[in-house]
Amino acid sequence: MSLTFLEAGLLGLVLVCGLTTALLKDVLSAIIAFAAYSLGMAMLWVVLRAPDVALTEAAIGAGVMSLLLLLTIARTVRPSHKAFTESIRLRTAGVVGAFVLVLGTTIPSLPAIGSPRASVIDYRVTEYYLANAYAQTEVKNAVTAVLAAYRGFDTLGEATVVFAAGIAVLVVLRKEGFT
Amino acid sequence: MSAVTDLLLTRYNYLAVVVLSGIGMYMMIENHNLVKKVIGMNVFQTGIFLFFITMAYVDGAGPAILESGGGGGPYVSPLPHVLILTAIVVGVSLTAVALALIVRIYAEYGTLDEEVLREVIHE
Repeated sequence: MSLTFLEAGLLGLVLVCGLTTALLKDVLSAIIAFAAYSLGMAMLWVVLRAPDVALTEAAIGAGVMSLLLLLTIARTVRPSHKAFTESIRLRTAGVVGAFVLVLGTTIPSLPAIGSPRASVIDYRVTEYYLANAYAQTEVKNAVTAVLAAYRGFDTLGEATVVFAAGIAVLVVLRKEGFT
Repeated sequence: MSAVTDLLLTRYNYLAVVVLSGIGMYMMIENHNLVKKVIGMNVFQTGIFLFFITMAYVDGAGPAILESGGGGGPYVSPLPHVLILTAIVVGVSLTAVALALIVRIYAEYGTLDEEVLREVIHE
């Protein structure tokens, strides 16, 4: 697919919000910038035809995550700074730059975006799901069919992780601990 | 068309993936506030999500809502979407635990700044 204005704008929004999040010194401002970043991501998922991911991102990424972060600074502290932005340390920037360059060298070997012959698309697992999901599960949404039926154990594992995280949060925040 | 322009026009999302990973990594290393480190981890994660969802995309395809009689299409690949749905929820669980630990650290040491925390612990 060629780069459309809509997608270029959304990518720009996401990158600018990400950079703003990194550079703002004030934690509350960074959280707000991060919420905008998540919202941009949710819109990008819609453009990339992933409505399920977009809904989850908007509800969890922009909603629950911002709420958790805000609750954290409400219970702890929002340090006040004289400086508006973070000062950039060249050594770290160099390390991250090297990391980005090394990752960037892999880009030319990736398939072009939207190519029907890309390995993920032109692969028998994808083809099997798309051809058989409705006949076997009677669920029209292939994502739901894969999530709940074909990869149900993955989803069970995910539920286990959420449960374990809930218990961990309770244990950590309990003042006396288990006695 | 030169190679670089071609790269920019056909693989732009992957460039964004790389840049977002870089931003997330920088935040995790360099920002002194623990809450901002956690935000950085989330930026890194979303960068990887973008990689997966871009991989699933096909030109002119619709979302993977199937026709009841079979046929139709082309559709985007549903499998990466499922993996990312799981990853988003796991990421939130991870963030919740990290933030709970941060609240506990503040209750114990009275600071969220990495450098100050290191000094307080060494005393």
